[in-house]
Amino acid sequence: MPDASYRPAGPLPNDPFGAYAGPWNRRLAAHLLRRAGFGGTPAQVDALAAQPMNAAVDGLIAFPATPNLTDGPPDLPRVYDQNGKSLLAPGRRLGQGQGRAAVPRVDESAILPASAMASAAMEQNMVGIPPQPGASPAPGVDDALIAKRKALNMARNQADLAITQWWMGRMLATPAPLQEKMTLFLHGHFTSAYRQKGITAQQMLAQNNLYRQNALGNFGDLTLKVAADPAMLRYLDNYVNVDAHPNENFARELMELFTLGHGNYTEQDVREAARAFTGWTLTRPYIVGEFVFDPSKHDDGKKTFLGKTGNFNGTDILNVIFNTEAAPRFLATKLLGFFLYSDPEPQLVDAFAGLIRRNRYDLKPVMDTLLRSKIFYSERAYRALVKSPTEFVIGTMQLAGIDKVGPPVIQAMRRMGQTLFYPPNVAGWSGGATWLNSQTMLTRENFAGALMKSPGAMKAPFLAALNPSVAPKTIAETLVNAVVQGDTSPGSYERLVSYLDGSGVSADGMLSGENYDERIRGAAYLTMAMPAYQLA
Amino acid sequence: MLKRKGFLLGAVGGLGIASTKNVFAAALGQAPLAGLPGSNDRVLVIVNLQGGNDGLNCVVPHGSSDYYRYRPQIGVAKSEVLAIDANVGFNPQMGSLKGMYDKGMVAVVQGVGYPNPDHSHFRGTQIWQTADPVGYGTTGWLGRYLDAVEAPNANLFNAVAISDVLPEALIAQKTDVPAISNLATYGLASDKNTATSAAFASLSGATGERFTSPYMSHVSEIVDHARRGSQELPKLIAGYKTQASYPATQLGRSLALAAQIVGSKLGTRIIYVQHGSFDTHTGQRAAQDRLLGEFSNAMAAFYDDLAAHGNEKRVLTMTFSEFGRRVGENASRGTDHGTASPLFVVGANVKGGLYGQAPSLTDLDNGDLKFTTDFRSVYTTVLEKWFDRPTAGIVAGTFPTIGFA
Repeated sequence: MPDASYRPAGPLPNDPFGAYAGPWNRRLAAHLLRRAGFGGTPAQVDALAAQPMNAAVDGLIAFPATPNLTDGPPDLPRVYDQNGKSLLAPGRRLGQGQGRAAVPRVDESAILPASAMASAAMEQNMVGIPPQPGASPAPGVDDALIAKRKALNMARNQADLAITQWWMGRMLATPAPLQEKMTLFLHGHFTSAYRQKGITAQQMLAQNNLYRQNALGNFGDLTLKVAADPAMLRYLDNYVNVDAHPNENFARELMELFTLGHGNYTEQDVREAARAFTGWTLTRPYIVGEFVFDPSKHDDGKKTFLGKTGNFNGTDILNVIFNTEAAPRFLATKLLGFFLYSDPEPQLVDAFAGLIRRNRYDLKPVMDTLLRSKIFYSERAYRALVKSPTEFVIGTMQLAGIDKVGPPVIQAMRRMGQTLFYPPNVAGWSGGATWLNSQTMLTRENFAGALMKSPGAMKAPFLAALNPSVAPKTIAETLVNAVVQGDTSPGSYERLVSYLDGSGVSADGMLSGENYDERIRGAAYLTMAMPAYQLA
Repeated sequence: MLKRKGFLLGAVGGLGIASTKNVFAAALGQAPLAGLPGSNDRVLVIVNLQGGNDGLNCVVPHGSSDYYRYRPQIGVAKSEVLAIDANVGFNPQMGSLKGMYDKGMVAVVQGVGYPNPDHSHFRGTQIWQTADPVGYGTTGWLGRYLDAVEAPNANLFNAVAISDVLPEALIAQKTDVPAISNLATYGLASDKNTATSAAFASLSGATGERFTSPYMSHVSEIVDHARRGSQELPKLIAGYKTQASYPATQLGRSLALAAQIVGSKLGTRIIYVQHGSFDTHTGQRAAQDRLLGEFSNAMAAFYDDLAAHGNEKRVLTMTFSEFGRRVGENASRGTDHGTASPLFVVGANVKGGLYGQAPSLTDLDNGDLKFTTDFRSVYTTVLEKWFDRPTAGIVAGTFPTIGFA
């Protein structure tokens, strides 16, 4: 249920981006780790709380080396050979001669053998469940061809699953959580999606690594790299943007969703920008295509874009865009909405936009200032965001000490409304209240419950330290501090204690050595059911 | 607490819902009850034919030689077609729906689509769900309807999706719609344990926390809404007796539940079910014919069930699919993603017949059909004629209504 505004109430502090100099404690350290990471373990929160705020932020901003992490899953299945030739034999098609335009049409079915592309079936396949029986072949059909399609389809499913497991595994294990968090931000900002327009898992992986490498780099430079990124060239059709038939898809979204925002350009600007990006294409075959500038397809004529005139190329367009007033404001709105709180005030956006402009779009000093600022540690920002499914799932797994991302985890994420590498549309995930509905919340609660019931959960150090001789009050205190940093009411704390010691629910018995394990798991789950746990 | 719960369950089973009105009113706050305003209102049932239903083998242009030229292997032979007229007819597996058509209960709207068609399943579905082929809004067309009529959020079941994930069509600003994949797993697993369930009820609420958050009350309200819905629905519909023999398919089960919800008079205005996958790139005849047969038989059982309870005139059912398929078959006896396709509108209050123009098989767009009816005309008709609601704020733009309602 999205609503008009979820902006926090009350006045802004003076000099909101000035350095925070107030008290530093576990609550604020956990706040920092939720925003600059995925929540982390209680021990990680303790470690941040034990050092001064500035040192804690230093450690997050200067990404530690990650020698134990890979840049992709091993042996990612392919659906094409070394030369980029699809392993699927080209299909005969009637109607192919029916007035086809010179511009190649964009249709995943031309490349993908997907018998399971229907949304539901596809999603199930992604997590390893066999396709629905809907596409079983009729007798007499070319069995070899169908077998080949099925095998390739399975390879695609495995590849999609593999990159998702790999990325979530990286989020769980990384010593540089802000790097993954920025990658998630950029993935939802510069959207592309696998299985659309023939994009392969390999291309999505390459794009993901591009975001990771530029996580705190220069946003302008990154935008240029994105314009030349194979997954993006396919997703927004710029690879078929040629002088004879300009395709405006990329030019439009570049301005509307990536850099300026609606209302800051005209339709004429879209057309002119599209002309400037003609010839920014891929080598053939597209499925393994690399970026290439094809001067023979480029419109080298004069363009007038946002009031400037010249024989612009795409790079010139980006230069014009990043010199507008609107561009830093747009980026400021997106960053604050993701890292601070929803619907930030115009004056806050303006101040942050100024910071972006002064730093020439370098993300590192900008994020550095934000994470040390008064506004960031204010009550206004505290728990003022709804955790995304990724934050909820990764944070809960970190808390429970579970490091294997199985297909059921990804299936649960889908039901919570977020499938990584598959944003709902080019605008990315809307976030905030759009994460919240009956079905997504039941899925969140049941996921937490199932995770706490799994054998591995009791190995989490903060749970393993509890034993039958510990008093229910101490157990409740430990759980409330570890899971929600004490953010509950005295009444809820008492209720948790009574659940643990069995009083008031005599049918289930008093806390004892026999029911101890079950009761601790139940109490940990109930602590995760507190409203604070849904909030970042 | 335990005793009270047992009492409620017993009351529903023994006395029926209507006579326990006061008990439920206390238990549910302002939850819907039989006999309350709205409970006899009209209902819209959406059947989403997922994956892209091939229109040409569904409503077959058996009078066209071009059709047989494009479909040499998978075309439906003229002798098999359940003819509507000399030009078009139903797929041979759709005998039950043809029977309903002959009774005047089925409108076939031909050539439905939208400008600049998108061949992606996800984007295509999204366009139908949001009624917006251009933008990227966060609400669905049916969600905007619920907002426009100010469907009371206290009603837990203004609309129900019988699906794994809440379809975007039902995302509203002011109303939360439950999605139920099946009744057995709908709800919190922890509610099976009495102690955990009781503790959850008090701990998941906002009770004077030491911080404020703009999302705080929203989070606890939604959890409460979800939980109460999952606990109450089975009880509220328990008094209903299914009076038709549904096919033992997912769609059969979904529509049986839909009839049960309609018959239990919960004030539900919209029910959304799914059927598929129609993504028939290979071996289409076997797969699509089976799915169409399942659809046809389930619809017949659904309306039998509704009629047995006197609800057949309250319920209008509309199908949609994200796109039709290419005109020409492919080499593996299937079809690839295309554009326009027909949709069905079914009900005892529907003016049956053929509507709209069958798309041309000679004037194609890159091998695809050109649409003849904008899908927003269908939505406009459903809103204005069935729900008696202007489209302002729900469907942008003005589209002519169609005569089926």
